[in-house]
Amino acid sequence: MTSVTPGPSGPPDRLPLALLLPGQGAQHAAMALGLVRTEPVVADVVDEVLDLFGAEGARIRRDWWAGAPVDDVTRAQPLLFAVDLALGRLLASRGVRPDVLVGHSAGEWAAAVLAGVVALPDAVRLLAERVEVLAGEPPGGMVAVAADALTVEAHLGGHEGVVVGAVNARDQVLVTGPHPQLRRAADALAAAGLTVLAARSTVGFHSPSLAAACARTLPSFARTRFAPPTVEVLSPFVGGPLGAEQACDPGFWAAQPAAPVLFGPVVDQLLARGPHVVVECGPGRSLGTLLRRHPARGRTVVTGLLPARPGGAAADVEALHRALDVLAGTGHLPVPRPHLEATP
Amino acid sequence: MTTVTPDPTPATSTTLTPPRTQTLTLTDLTALLRECAGEEEGVDLDGDVLDVDFADLGYDSLALLQVISRIKRDFGVSVPDDAAATADTPRALLDLVALDR
Repeated sequence: MTSVTPGPSGPPDRLPLALLLPGQGAQHAAMALGLVRTEPVVADVVDEVLDLFGAEGARIRRDWWAGAPVDDVTRAQPLLFAVDLALGRLLASRGVRPDVLVGHSAGEWAAAVLAGVVALPDAVRLLAERVEVLAGEPPGGMVAVAADALTVEAHLGGHEGVVVGAVNARDQVLVTGPHPQLRRAADALAAAGLTVLAARSTVGFHSPSLAAACARTLPSFARTRFAPPTVEVLSPFVGGPLGAEQACDPGFWAAQPAAPVLFGPVVDQLLARGPHVVVECGPGRSLGTLLRRHPARGRTVVTGLLPARPGGAAADVEALHRALDVLAGTGHLPVPRPHLEATP
Repeated sequence: MTTVTPDPTPATSTTLTPPRTQTLTLTDLTALLRECAGEEEGVDLDGDVLDVDFADLGYDSLALLQVISRIKRDFGVSVPDDAAATADTPRALLDLVALDR
């Protein structure tokens, strides 16, 4: 009998790789500019995305590079999309092949492009229309609350249009809705002794109050070609894996700004499969931090391509190098880093 | 029998006692971090965590805000409002608490 010799590629205990793509609230002024300046792939992708945004893209680029605030929906959404996508493409250019993508809120739109569900020009066209429609809605916002959904919901009665819009973890939810109801709800939650922190958003994302606005974008989504994902997408909008049928349903994508985000339950599913290498593929570490303190974390390794908090260009570059070291150490970086290449 | 007799000199033990202002040590902070995360959570606070980024310890700004409100309440100290955003490590948070004393 011939015994099967294990192949040379990859240790047998290599953990699967999950990319986390953050959404609204993760953005900050001048985010990722250190990588735009030093990584040609990142620069090319953000240029491509902002060029597709046309004249508005030029204004977005100017504000971003000037270090202006980017929390407004007209800045946060395009830039989060551009940065998440550029970092995903950067990893791909190094030969990194994720096993699963998990996007939070707007991060799922970047995941959809990375997974081949929607072509980049279509994705930008639809995002531009969505942003324009949402920017015309009454102002709102989101607040993070350190409590479970049932506890929080018990305090939301009487605050018209205010709901739990995202379940981030067992003990962390995002409450969302239009102002001034949201402010009053936040005050009531704080008065009840709960820890409340405003998220950086000018729109009450994932609240049914945006349903009519989303419906206005549906015709454009319906004219767009969608394809089943080429890599698994664990979708907080689905509450599980994104199937071929949903991936190709324009209504599913059009409704996302008004639909709840079940990030915590999806993380539960991911970690129930076993430990992973988890890389946050966007600004900050808000998503990875939730996995880091998850009870089922086990041997899961958590890192991010950008620093936990704004630290300028040098911090961006340092964070990327640390993350690439983690990827190399866990068997996920087949293309060596330039400075590790042997010099003849 | 089971009725609680009102204390004739109420509140002497609470309102007249100045708030505790003992130094917040790393041990105190670690205990609060652990308590706020809850028993089930997977945070690892063993070893030298003084200079480990809060994000690497599993604390985002909301979780940190929760810890800070406990510090204020239990230790009777004030903490700058933006501490949850600016303190990146346990050492930085301890320094902020000491500075604001």
